[in-house]
Amino acid sequence: MNSFFLSTALICFGGLVTFLVWRQFVLMKAAAVSIISIGCTIGLVDAVVKLLNPGSYTASFEYLSLFSLSFQIDGLSAFFLVAIYAVSMLATIYSFHYMNNAEKALRSAANYFFFSLLIVSMALVVTATNMISFMLSWEIMSLSSFFLVIYDYESAENRKAGYLYFVFSHVGAMFILAAFGILYGYTGSFSFSSGSAIPDSAKLMVLILSFVGFGSKAGVFPFHVWLPHAHPAAPSHISAVMSGVMIKTGIYGIVRLYASLNLHTPLFGEIVLVAGMISGILGVVYALGQHDLKRLLAYHSVENIGIILIGIGLGMLGVSFGNPIMAVLGFSGGLLHVLNHSIFKSLLFMGAGMVIQKTGTRTIDMLGGLLKNMKITGITFLVGSLAISGLPPFNGFVSEFIIYLGGFKGVALDKTAFVLSILAIVSLAIIGGLALACFTKVVGVVFQGEPRSASAVAVDEKEPAMLVPMLVLAGICIIIGVFPRMFIAMSLMAVPVSGLGYGRIPMEPFIQMTANISLAATLFFIILLVLIALRTVLYRGKTIGTAGTWGCGFTQPTPKMQYSGTSYAASILEFFRPAAPLQEDHPAIHGRFPQKTHYLSHVDDIAELHMMRVVVNPFLWLFDRLRWIQHGDIHLYIGYILLAIVVLLFFV
Amino acid sequence: MIQSILLWVLAMLLAPFFSAVILKVKAFFGGKKGPPLLINYYTLAKLFKKGSVYSTSTTFIFKLGPMISLGAAVTVLLFLPFAGQPPVFSFRGDLLFILYLLGLGRFFTIAAAMDTASPFEGMGAAREAYFPIICEATLFMILILFYVLTGELSLAAYFSGTQPFGMWQMAGSPMLFVVIAFFIILLAENSRVPVDDPATHLELTMIHEVMVLDHSGPDLGFIELGSFCKLFFYASIVARLIIPFESGYMALDLCLFAASLLIVYMAVGVMESVMARYRMDRVPKFLLTSFALAFFATVITLEFLK
Repeated sequence: MNSFFLSTALICFGGLVTFLVWRQFVLMKAAAVSIISIGCTIGLVDAVVKLLNPGSYTASFEYLSLFSLSFQIDGLSAFFLVAIYAVSMLATIYSFHYMNNAEKALRSAANYFFFSLLIVSMALVVTATNMISFMLSWEIMSLSSFFLVIYDYESAENRKAGYLYFVFSHVGAMFILAAFGILYGYTGSFSFSSGSAIPDSAKLMVLILSFVGFGSKAGVFPFHVWLPHAHPAAPSHISAVMSGVMIKTGIYGIVRLYASLNLHTPLFGEIVLVAGMISGILGVVYALGQHDLKRLLAYHSVENIGIILIGIGLGMLGVSFGNPIMAVLGFSGGLLHVLNHSIFKSLLFMGAGMVIQKTGTRTIDMLGGLLKNMKITGITFLVGSLAISGLPPFNGFVSEFIIYLGGFKGVALDKTAFVLSILAIVSLAIIGGLALACFTKVVGVVFQGEPRSASAVAVDEKEPAMLVPMLVLAGICIIIGVFPRMFIAMSLMAVPVSGLGYGRIPMEPFIQMTANISLAATLFFIILLVLIALRTVLYRGKTIGTAGTWGCGFTQPTPKMQYSGTSYAASILEFFRPAAPLQEDHPAIHGRFPQKTHYLSHVDDIAELHMMRVVVNPFLWLFDRLRWIQHGDIHLYIGYILLAIVVLLFFV
Repeated sequence: MIQSILLWVLAMLLAPFFSAVILKVKAFFGGKKGPPLLINYYTLAKLFKKGSVYSTSTTFIFKLGPMISLGAAVTVLLFLPFAGQPPVFSFRGDLLFILYLLGLGRFFTIAAAMDTASPFEGMGAAREAYFPIICEATLFMILILFYVLTGELSLAAYFSGTQPFGMWQMAGSPMLFVVIAFFIILLAENSRVPVDDPATHLELTMIHEVMVLDHSGPDLGFIELGSFCKLFFYASIVARLIIPFESGYMALDLCLFAASLLIVYMAVGVMESVMARYRMDRVPKFLLTSFALAFFATVITLEFLK
């Protein structure tokens, strides 16, 4: 564990050192970036080594024998550590040129400090082995990311986003605490591993409560409401880390608790699967309706969490029905999608950050034609888009492929599991189609065509610290897509060590599967190369002219006439209207010389809408009635505490 | 293996010929003589001889689009068993790869259309992004049925040898639903009437034709060839489903396969001659019909099997 703690200490030091040198803006950035990224690299190497050499590595500390903090790295932890350190390292490098406002030097220093805390706390969350160390790290993670979200606190919108995130992460933490409380009540121990002895009904209760808590961090529908607000508010490299890896700690929590409780009734797997399907489909439907680039990407996180949960839910069903192959396919597919999503989503957020920094706008319909001046950003964003749409030969396809295979295994089961497996397969297909529609919209409207406003005209990309991480991530997307062997092996390593209640099953068939994907992808590349050669031959010595786009006889086109992202998504949204009500404001045009008019549209998130009505308003009413309890007199408060202790002494 | 590769090459070479059959049938219904059966070869030769004009709005994606859509269609044919013969390549789960590879082709067709900054092409692109979502749901529903029947997940396992006949024997009449559903998918994915109209270039009514409005020369030739191959892919599947018999003699099987392909292409031609194109907002309902059929086929079959 030494190198693990060395890396966390280095990262913390990198965050603290900024406060010493914040007056020298560039020096501060250079120091923070280099120390934090070195720390992450050490952690990454350590995690990969531990993942490939299975075994558990533990360390624990006692504080005044009051409580013990203990940490352990097994396959599952190491797998998440790989994702955490890899994405954090690249995001840190990216921040060197992204944080370019020297006037906010002190604030940037604080940003690096909280960023380092976030990385360290995420690493501790996935290694904690008892409730105390877990909750402690979990709270540091929530709080440090809260401070990162409100980086631009001048804007009221961002403060609101931060507040919403704060409320959600703490209500979620209360649910997790309640789950842990039940667990502790039965076992009398803070350790996770002793949970397998408690009765099944209690296990189910613990799992459902913790699913709500972890789900609100992961962004499972309907607990995702904070996500589309917080991600646009945070600086882009923070969004990349939060969306890429922080929300995955929720997935980690679900898997870890499930594995240690060893529950075999299928109900929980069914809940996870259904939640996954709903999050997946609605996430991408809402994404289609967004006008803000980063909000759109945030909704795609909801979608991808859905895909991950579909995989994990199928795995749980496989465990419940004693079908080890389905279990392994489901879990390893879901976990591989965790890694894949962390790669392409952070890539997309970095690309979005570049676009926002250069154009100063997040509105999709104001952009256009960026690919001509921002080649690297455009191409890497395109690669990320292809990967997130789950298309071969990119990494998103590989994990969806494995999840599909798990789903087809489930078709052979009976009754509910069979129906759910069919639904899972069909929803994966629909999610894939919708994601393709959504990302052709983003790429088509933001990067292609002609600029729709002045802000998108004069753009450039020169910052190597921002470009290199994007290139690296895009490269990894293709490598995993074409040669998935090692990465599938990694996700397979993460599955059995979590003790999912079956014996070792042979890995060769799974490795064979990766060879097939590589073969098919290589075939496609060969055919493509032949076609490129053929095209070169066909165009040799030909006259190639340039002209304006054919306007079908119309000779005065303007960029304003292009199809906008809103109209592109309109007909699909019409289909999903019951789930995604569309608000429009469009005064009709009258007379021969019409006045200026406008068109406003907004897609309502039903979770947000109904959560306000069903949960928030009744609570506000209740608390309003109870306001007399709080009247500011400290003596009375001490009285309350005394009363509470006395009552507890008598009745508990 | 060599035999399979030869069949693959033959399929690519013959795909334009079969597409011309549709034109002939339409001409027959219109009381005209119609273009020669080799018309598509003449068109391709003409396009390959020409140069190109590119819009100033476009980027490299515009040039990459045709190659990727053709490349995807050609790669997909590698996995298809022709006339019951084994395909060039096959592995467990290759159907997932195929469906998603066609998705890759679609992504680039749409991206190439969005590259031109033309409002018409944007409109076509939006429709191209929308309708296939329902088609994919139907295809996966059919895939589930086939998986239940055969326990396999590859084209070779469904359509080589006596397999299609075996599926008819196991599932019985619900397979009729599958054939109809698949035929609807064929019409939608290959932009035929009543979903799309490949004959006119009236931009506002089109999906696929309007998306390739700005392509010219060899690029357009690639797109045309790609759509011939794609239609051939779907038509071969329907052909194997409607005439699932096999004689055991390769020459006879090839003739039978060609005949069943002709039936499918002629059916497409008849559809185009006797039907009008649906209004755009009716298309999703038409496609949902195919999903409903596939769904019922699966449910009924499963009840029978149990």
